[in-house]
Amino acid sequence: MAKSVVSLSVNGSPADGLVEPRKTLADFLRDELELTGTKLGCEQGVCGACTVLLDGQAVRSCLLFAVQCQGSEVTTVEGLAAEPEFDRMRQAFSDNHALQCGFCTPGMLITTTALLPMLSGADEAEIREGLSGNICRCTGYQGIVEAVTELARDGS
Amino acid sequence: MSELAIARGKYVGASVSRLEDPALLAGEARYVADMTLPRMLHAAFVRSPVPHAEIRSIDTSGAEALPGVEAVFTGEQIESHPMADPVMIETLKKTPQFVIARDRVRFVGEAVAVVVAVDAYVAEDAAALVEVDYADLGAVTTVEESRAEGAPQFFDDVEANTVFEETKTWGDPAKAFAEADRTYKHTLRANRFLAAPMETRGVLASYEPAEGNLTVWSSTQMPDVLSVTIAGLLAFPAQNVRVVAPHVGGGFGQKMASYPEEIVIPFLAITLGRPIKWIEDRRENLLAAMHSKEQVIEIEAAVDDDGTIRAFRSDCAGDAGGYSFNATSALIEPWYAATLMPGVYHVDDYETHISATLTNKTPVGPYRGVGWTPGHTARELILDGVARDLGLDPAELRKKNMIRSDEFPYAQCTGQVYDSGSFVESVDAALELVGYAELRQEQAVGREQGRYIGIGISPYVEPTGFGTEIASQQAGFPFPSHDNATVTMDPSGKVTCAVSVTTQGQGHKTTFAQITADALGIEVEDVAVVQGDTASAPFGMGTYASRAAVVAGGAVALAVGEVREKLLKASGLLLEAAPEDLTLEDSRVFVKGSPDRGMAVAEAAIAAYWAPNARTEGEDPYLSSTRFYDPKATYGNGCIISVAEVDVDTGRAQVTKVAAVEDCGTVLNPMIVDGQVRGAIAQGIGGAIYEDMVYDETAQPLSTTYLDYLLPTATEVPEILVGHLETPSPVTMGGIKGMGESGLIAAPGSVISAVLDAIAPFEPDLDTLELPLTPDRVLRLIGRVSA
Repeated sequence: MAKSVVSLSVNGSPADGLVEPRKTLADFLRDELELTGTKLGCEQGVCGACTVLLDGQAVRSCLLFAVQCQGSEVTTVEGLAAEPEFDRMRQAFSDNHALQCGFCTPGMLITTTALLPMLSGADEAEIREGLSGNICRCTGYQGIVEAVTELARDGS
Repeated sequence: MSELAIARGKYVGASVSRLEDPALLAGEARYVADMTLPRMLHAAFVRSPVPHAEIRSIDTSGAEALPGVEAVFTGEQIESHPMADPVMIETLKKTPQFVIARDRVRFVGEAVAVVVAVDAYVAEDAAALVEVDYADLGAVTTVEESRAEGAPQFFDDVEANTVFEETKTWGDPAKAFAEADRTYKHTLRANRFLAAPMETRGVLASYEPAEGNLTVWSSTQMPDVLSVTIAGLLAFPAQNVRVVAPHVGGGFGQKMASYPEEIVIPFLAITLGRPIKWIEDRRENLLAAMHSKEQVIEIEAAVDDDGTIRAFRSDCAGDAGGYSFNATSALIEPWYAATLMPGVYHVDDYETHISATLTNKTPVGPYRGVGWTPGHTARELILDGVARDLGLDPAELRKKNMIRSDEFPYAQCTGQVYDSGSFVESVDAALELVGYAELRQEQAVGREQGRYIGIGISPYVEPTGFGTEIASQQAGFPFPSHDNATVTMDPSGKVTCAVSVTTQGQGHKTTFAQITADALGIEVEDVAVVQGDTASAPFGMGTYASRAAVVAGGAVALAVGEVREKLLKASGLLLEAAPEDLTLEDSRVFVKGSPDRGMAVAEAAIAAYWAPNARTEGEDPYLSSTRFYDPKATYGNGCIISVAEVDVDTGRAQVTKVAAVEDCGTVLNPMIVDGQVRGAIAQGIGGAIYEDMVYDETAQPLSTTYLDYLLPTATEVPEILVGHLETPSPVTMGGIKGMGESGLIAAPGSVISAVLDAIAPFEPDLDTLELPLTPDRVLRLIGRVSA
């Protein structure tokens, strides 16, 4: 299959590649850029494990082709970890036992990053609604909801 | 200190933050899918789209011609012995399965060929080009169809497609049923649902021909068992096989088995001389990884007018799928349902008929709570019916019949000896935690206003800490189930704790470090827990059956106890004090009461290795110990109460609150225990209301994406309150009991019970009950739509 040049910015650095048009953004990040923090849980756009920020918006990287993201700014969990405010999120997730196996965690952290600015004054039901696009099979969600509640409260 | 004690210092019993979290939160943790090796190739399986057929021919030429394809293998070309379950019950028929089907397929999703290519995209393209000529053999979707005269035969020697059938009787149930004031009967058609871990299965295998080494990275719960299985089936020298379970994204039993794919990928690596990687996609996981929980359970209860249970009868009919699954056999469902049926209640007279029958569906295997889940659900639902009929409060009926705390150890009629527990107390604590009296009032008021809430009470006993004794009480034969731990203090005073259990998110790095650190008076950060690698961890059975804390916790405690003794002996020589007069605290060893007469643990450790005066003649200077532990049978218990609200216009049932009181004896880390309880309950809510692996009447699976197979999200799982009772086991190291499965044993029963309680005013016909309780089924139960 003919390949296309793709050129985008990932975690603040330029990332170029020559990929088949059918290569998903998730596979581009994981296979070409070796950023394996982004996980693939279903590749059906349901579980949310592959969530990344695309120009600041939380998106499913398994449902996008890399070539669709030409010129965009992508942030993965590796990029979040480099941010100073990430320490607060990491602490809240650990303190509230918001992760067990950790496979959904990168997607949860990205979703939380996108969600937090919208959560000022949000109640628990709204926080749960905001997190409902990401599946976790280990925790029963309570630790995640508590971590995000704490972050929303302390951030406002 | 008694021989069963676990040292307690600043960590054991505290909610210590998990040591595994930083790597997981940074996205740095590597799962199998994240690994690459030089010259690596990718495999994709061709899977049968038909449920039952003879394979007439396979044409691989189209696939082989595709650029980028390295090889295509069919079943005949894979030189492996077939797989069969290792269960040692003579009357259980074996159903050998080739790792890739050779002449016949028995379920949709069974592998018929495997393609190896330069990347996963090309491998999947090529897999679609493999042409298989199937001759339909006729498919059966239910146990009834499969046992019927004229049904297609799965195996020549398996009559009526039934791999096992037996009636077991304890006491005199016929007499009890004849004498009892009332009898009740209920049929539970338990739905087929599955573990669905976030990480699918995956295997990467690499063979170095000159060295002769085969290394297999697999998302498995049992690396040692897999290693032995690979060596056995491929006739490969066992000493050269290394299996590594790196970070594993959830298992819940689904990753217990040694799967066909875990044999095929190493075979390809050996044969092609290049590393081979296979990462299962979600559709494959839903089709080809084991399914669970489907049984038809008929239960009868003999009860006196005052609510005293006199006897039970049950018929547990397991739907095995296409093979009696290679790891555990089809008995993992009906046998376990049948033998734990008396549960927390006084039952002296009990009869059960156990059967397991093949159908053209995916094989059934263990998922958290195994067959206990449907068995428990059937029993608790019939007790609800008894309480309604007798006008008794469901909590009171249960408490009246429960084994009391002054009766332990209690030998249940089925041969299980409950070592200790708090059955009645856990019900009382859960009623208090959920606010039972207020809820009943709210329910009564709500009903007048057209609002339907219900409460479901589900007390449980859970067989835990699988060692040899409990295996014989549960599985019916004593499969050896010990594990090992090696604890080593290095010359710097830091410690490595290697255990043979594996982790899929349970926080073992933290809990075993807690035990180790307290025994040596050091910090948890000074302990590295090693697991999941046959090259660096001792041999053992791995993680399953709520056993890691009990079995590995015990082995760690024994091993670290010996290291402590060695360290104190060396320190005694250096400090000119008797070892028994010394203590370890704050990373120092010193004379009790005289902190100044001592030294840093690091100093003592370096001396123990290198100072001649730190040991007597012939003393072994190595601060290391390997101990095995095979615990006596121990049982956890507790009670889960769910509250549900039903919208009678739409049929939507929503769980609004759950209270869980658990008693797992000594708690190592309450935060981690709470997490296990909540996670398992969420899975139970899924199985009760949302999750259903649906097959049509031609045995075609319909729930093959997460759009069809619905997992609960944050909006379907409510706040789960967790309470703890602590009744230490008198028979295990430190009094630890397991608890990982209890939520999924008891939550489905409690959720279903709550929904049925909510719609009780509509007097639903429970003989028509089907699960899960999706809106259409709820509407049928309340008569809003016809059946």
